[in-house]
Amino acid sequence: MKKAFKLITVIVMAALMVTTAAACSGNNGNNGGSAPASAGSEASAKPDAPKPTLKRLNVWTNEDYNTYPVAKLLEEATGYKMEYDMLPQDKWAEKLNLIMSSGEAYDMVTSYSDMALYSDYAQKGALVDLTSLIEEFGPNIQAALKPESIEALKVNGKLYAIPVSITYEVNSSILIRTDWLEKLELPMPTTTDELTHVLQQFKEQDPGGNGERNVPLTIKGDQAMIDNIVGAFGIPNGWNEVDGQMVPRVLDPSFKDYVAYVADLYKQRLIDREFVANKDATAKEKFASGVAGAIVVHWADIPGIHEALTKNLPDAKFAYVPPLKGPNGEAGFTANAGFDRLTFIPKSAKHPEDAIKWINASLEPETFKTMAIGVEGTHYKMENGGYTPILPIFNDERNLANNFMVGTDEEQYPKYWQARVRKNPVMFEAFDFLNNQQPAEVKHLNVLGLAPYMQQYAKNNQQLHTMSNDYTVKLIAGAESLDGLADFQAKYLAAGAEVSSQEVNEWYQSVNK
Amino acid sequence: MYRKTIKDYALDGTIYTLLILMGLMTLLPFANVLSKSFSEEWAIVSGKVGILPVGFQFDTMAFVVTSSQFLRSLGISVLVTVIGTLASLLVTALTAYPLSKRELPGIGALIVLFIFTMMFNGGIIPNYLLIRELGLINHLGSLVLPALVSVFNLLVIKSYFENLPPSLEESAKIEGARNLTILFRIILPLSGPVLATIGLFYAVYFWNDYFNPMLYINSTSLKPLQLYLQDIVMNADTSSALDKSADDLMNVPAEGVRAATVIASTLPILLVYPFLQKYFIKGVLIGSVKG
Repeated sequence: MKKAFKLITVIVMAALMVTTAAACSGNNGNNGGSAPASAGSEASAKPDAPKPTLKRLNVWTNEDYNTYPVAKLLEEATGYKMEYDMLPQDKWAEKLNLIMSSGEAYDMVTSYSDMALYSDYAQKGALVDLTSLIEEFGPNIQAALKPESIEALKVNGKLYAIPVSITYEVNSSILIRTDWLEKLELPMPTTTDELTHVLQQFKEQDPGGNGERNVPLTIKGDQAMIDNIVGAFGIPNGWNEVDGQMVPRVLDPSFKDYVAYVADLYKQRLIDREFVANKDATAKEKFASGVAGAIVVHWADIPGIHEALTKNLPDAKFAYVPPLKGPNGEAGFTANAGFDRLTFIPKSAKHPEDAIKWINASLEPETFKTMAIGVEGTHYKMENGGYTPILPIFNDERNLANNFMVGTDEEQYPKYWQARVRKNPVMFEAFDFLNNQQPAEVKHLNVLGLAPYMQQYAKNNQQLHTMSNDYTVKLIAGAESLDGLADFQAKYLAAGAEVSSQEVNEWYQSVNK
Repeated sequence: MYRKTIKDYALDGTIYTLLILMGLMTLLPFANVLSKSFSEEWAIVSGKVGILPVGFQFDTMAFVVTSSQFLRSLGISVLVTVIGTLASLLVTALTAYPLSKRELPGIGALIVLFIFTMMFNGGIIPNYLLIRELGLINHLGSLVLPALVSVFNLLVIKSYFENLPPSLEESAKIEGARNLTILFRIILPLSGPVLATIGLFYAVYFWNDYFNPMLYINSTSLKPLQLYLQDIVMNADTSSALDKSADDLMNVPAEGVRAATVIASTLPILLVYPFLQKYFIKGVLIGSVKG
């Protein structure tokens, strides 16, 4: 069924491209090229011409955009009525392909940041070039976006999308039961050796009194790369610099050491013996019910885990393990770079100019602030120099505000955005520890996050990731041995890593000149 | 009369127990979802909920069934099911009636044409293009129109009509009734069982249909229940940080909410099933034995 649907959308796309191409070229003749300028002067000549209703397609959320309070706010601030539709949660890309190729008249389309998809649309001529429109109608847009964000989105020198950048750097680390540490009078581990020791003590002394079920460290089945530990071995990102070249993890000389360390943990039964069968929820269950002493989680998962754990064991406490130093003194986390959402204007849009005007109005600094965190005293208050949400109204009226944004005030928004994390003090503490309290040298920028579209890389990335991930899981669980690494690397190179690598390094050398 | 020995009783007992156990086993996943929808979230997260709720509460269910999107989707599903079933029944019966008159010229060829569409059809792309050209994208018509006549159902009704005694129609004609009067006053009132069966086939089809809305419906306010359900439930499987932003992670609906949504959307059709069951069995028999 899944496969069938995918195939179908591909074929439908191909079929529809023909009709849309015809429609597009028709449009181009009428209002492409020179038309925006002339239509613009027409609009400014008649200032009180009624503003059209805009149509926007957006990503899935669990509430209706049209009735969400932010929609009303934006309608008042921009003067435009907006109709919102949304993509499905599952297989949104297929559905978006269908919609784009059938030429539905959306004035704005916001999708998750999928550079391959975006570049594909741009190159096939399905998107409106925003460069001149922004120059003419978008002073706020120009002020809000950083030049490097714009550079990363250019396809053949033209800009077709406005991004919402990722607002924080570090995702996750090892979350450890500090009450177990206290009970055993152990300090928080700071090196990989100390981590091994702590986990050994967790296993031998069983501070949680779990008996047979006791698990020192639990991870999910597909989590071959354990955050924090990868940093200790100098491979925090999917691709890391080795002697001036970008190298994927499996080909990295340090990969062996990482695998040897983690496989040893597994062999000593310090990592969950059943980890291969663990789903995301299973691993969390083990930690939340007090069976596991440590787990690798994103900080956004903490509220649920915290609530469950303290209900089960009121004295339980936990904290993130700080960046562990490896045998060679390396340490750190991957730091996010790149985009969360992209918004573009399809060629089939009826009001591309008004769409840009709407975006411009939404990025007017005061409007943007009100959209992001609401009104001071109503939705948020200032506390200790940070924006603190007032609950529950913030949850009810601003939780989904990020979905309405087309571009952000890239200077201010990361600060506003932390109000969302402050909704839960325990989550904020963990977030703060990973993001605000860690020095810059332990945050290793994921360089490829800001790379432009690269054909081979985009094509192979997913498949290569799965391939190396599966292999690493087998290495850790002892189903494969490191003796076979060279063979695997050869297969990996042949499966697309070689061409991807060339492409990535060509780009990397060009920016690092 | 044959009297059961102890051995027979033992054997029967074992078989019954085994079958009952197997029957109950199929209920286990359902019981798990049901108890999750009435449990406290912390108990679900820590994996404590089995087949009985832990920390019994109604809040989650109340939250789900009063959510405006759930109610609207339920309304859309009910609307499509009711209108779709009535319209399909009418059109199918209207088509079946003339086709049951074997003596009319060319009827055989027409039936072959209908049967042809059972085996061959244009496929989804021409369908999508057709719906688009009809202007039915984002329109509830796109859910009803393509399913208006199912040839299988048509043939079942046709064979039922053929088995009605022809003398009934003849006597009506003698009384001066015309074709439409005969169909609506004589034939259809006599066809209660077959119409009930086929109506239920259609109703279940329209209620469960998820593929057509997935292709043709973009607007939030027109999503039927099955699509809404899929959106909510699929949320769970993509919880990796790779393709989700932190904002989405923070807003993921709780496991309990998902479970309650599954239960709330299953309940309406579940309540109807016991009443449908006997017609379903009858429906399979119709046309199978000519007598």
